[in-house]
Amino acid sequence: MVELLQNIIDGLGRGGIYALLALGIAVVFGIMHLLNFAHGELITIPGYLTFWAFNNGFNWWTVVPLIIISAVITSLVIERIAFSRVRGATDFTLLLTSFGIHFIVSALFLVYVSASVQSIPRPSWFADTIAVGQLNLEVFDLLVIGVTIVVLAGTTWLLQRTMFGLALRAAADDFDTARLMGINSDSVIRGAFALSGFLAGVAGIFWLMRAGSVTPSAGLNPMISGVLAALIGGLGSLKGAVLGGLALGMAEVLIRSWLPGGISQLTDGFVFVLIALLFIFRPGGLLSVPSVERV
Amino acid sequence: MKYRQLLAALVALSLIAAACGSDSGDGDTASTSGSDTEDSGGGAASAGIDVDAILAADLDNCVDAPTGDSIQVGAVLDFSEAAGFVDIPGADVMPYVADLINCTGGIDGRPVEVNVREAGDDPALATQELIDWGAQFFVGPPFADATLPMAQAGGGEYAIFAAASTEPTLADAENNTFLVTFDDVGQSSASAQFAWDQGLTEAIIFTEGEGVPYSGVNPDAFIETFEGLGGTIISTQTYGWFVDTDFSSQANDVAGVADGDEVFFSAAANFQITALKAQLEGQGLEGITYMGTDAFDATGTLFDPEAEGFIHTPHAIVEPGSDLEAVLAGSGTLESDAPNFMPLYIDSMLLGIQGILDCGCDEPADIAEAVKNISGFPGTSGEITYAGTNGIPPKAVDIVQNSDGAYNVLGTIGG
Repeated sequence: MVELLQNIIDGLGRGGIYALLALGIAVVFGIMHLLNFAHGELITIPGYLTFWAFNNGFNWWTVVPLIIISAVITSLVIERIAFSRVRGATDFTLLLTSFGIHFIVSALFLVYVSASVQSIPRPSWFADTIAVGQLNLEVFDLLVIGVTIVVLAGTTWLLQRTMFGLALRAAADDFDTARLMGINSDSVIRGAFALSGFLAGVAGIFWLMRAGSVTPSAGLNPMISGVLAALIGGLGSLKGAVLGGLALGMAEVLIRSWLPGGISQLTDGFVFVLIALLFIFRPGGLLSVPSVERV
Repeated sequence: MKYRQLLAALVALSLIAAACGSDSGDGDTASTSGSDTEDSGGGAASAGIDVDAILAADLDNCVDAPTGDSIQVGAVLDFSEAAGFVDIPGADVMPYVADLINCTGGIDGRPVEVNVREAGDDPALATQELIDWGAQFFVGPPFADATLPMAQAGGGEYAIFAAASTEPTLADAENNTFLVTFDDVGQSSASAQFAWDQGLTEAIIFTEGEGVPYSGVNPDAFIETFEGLGGTIISTQTYGWFVDTDFSSQANDVAGVADGDEVFFSAAANFQITALKAQLEGQGLEGITYMGTDAFDATGTLFDPEAEGFIHTPHAIVEPGSDLEAVLAGSGTLESDAPNFMPLYIDSMLLGIQGILDCGCDEPADIAEAVKNISGFPGTSGEITYAGTNGIPPKAVDIVQNSDGAYNVLGTIGG
């Protein structure tokens, strides 16, 4: 029982990061019907800025806002220079565009920075634990869970209680009608990308703290985790994205823990079997939503 | 996680290769005597290479330029994220060393030329271009997915040195492919021996799975040797090589069986072990001895403060103030991400040239035959012998520990 609780906390910590990533992907998908495979670059680019910042005397207190701001700016810039030019194109074109951004960003860092791992110092409390009965809870996991709850609550408030949120939800529901009602499409799309960047930035803080490093393809795994979580939750569903992220994190930790040592390397395979089973019985994910209109 | 990489690769048409080893080179500065290497069969004996003189050459004060037919070195290298950290600076150091050789009058009056091609998606094409140019032997990247097409493009007639690789299956003397350093089995067996010699009798292993190239083969070799000596493996955990940085569930498992006086061994990258170490220490396991492979110094994060005390097996140690260090500085590779690997590239060049000297020939197949018989070559990364091997030189393995931003040599195994 103790081990189970320990693993649940670990899984929630991991899943919280996935949830933030998935939510950012879901926000953009809801508006543009774009599955943004460049989402990981919202971690890669701030990651290199973090590397630079630490080499210039910054610390985590000053780096945290830098990561969030740079993620938001990166998201807006990507939207501006890449996606805004192909808004009327097919889904496939959008998909390839997002892949193109990923490869271009990776190549730029590879050529102009280094192919090698760049080190980022982890915070000193990174692996500290708090004993609760027989449990050794990582401060890091507890922080991730706490911040995730706060950010999700804030995002919910933003979407439910502000004009921006109303416009975003209206656009996600039916973009053409929303535009006829006077909603500025450019503003809504930029707002969605900014929100997506903010969520990726928060996730990126924890991802980079955990990784303690950045590489040209640093965004690949967070992007895939986020996309997977969004798919599990149900593409386009914001609640589903959060649920999907937590489910994915829990599944990874619990399956690894339950598998016998000799086959624990098959954890990823078992996770995918579960995902496949989910899609067999619920093709739309945990919380499927009706297909939305794209801009 | 690996499945994520696989997914991305499927969706995005190829990404990230997994890969193996790394190596770094150095060694105590070229212990070379500059003396003539013995004739190693394969043809007429010839003078050896004066490695010391080459390393000490002053490009501002050269002798007359050599005028003979040039010795042509082909290099097909991988500039991607997978191997670029070594192959990119490797592509810089070899032409620089060729300049040094030519500065000293060349090899028997013959200048040395190095032509580098990026392997890209088609290493066979790059190889063919260099064959057309006149390459007499090749320096290749560390991974089999490039080296094997190179060998095929050359019809198996060209000597290919996988400069920065420790992958044992890459070496195949029959097909003229050679490692320049020890292989995975050699380095990990040496680590196991060292751990046992220190009185460490229980081990924790991190692996990607039995038989998995590099990330699994190294732990396999450690386990075999360690258990053969009488040691016990108390926990074997799996992880994603170069990917995972959250080891929560593994740390929970290890904390249930470990006391903190074990040796930890894996082929993981430095930044992964620092994360795991922190998580294990968070579980109260403070006294574990962390040992790893050449991957530790393959990532440019070798001397992070978090990695203080890590023990690993580099391929070479570039001594401060040595001629070798000056060569790396002159070629702009001393400040690269993998300066300790550069001696392996230098040695790759010199070994091929030694083959030419030994056979007194210019035909690639004859050169390759001569390379197979090289014995006791005084390389910049240590003494190298191919005679009687399958292309893996039986080099000594230095066991070093990170100490205040430098190597502290704890011992040497084998050789």
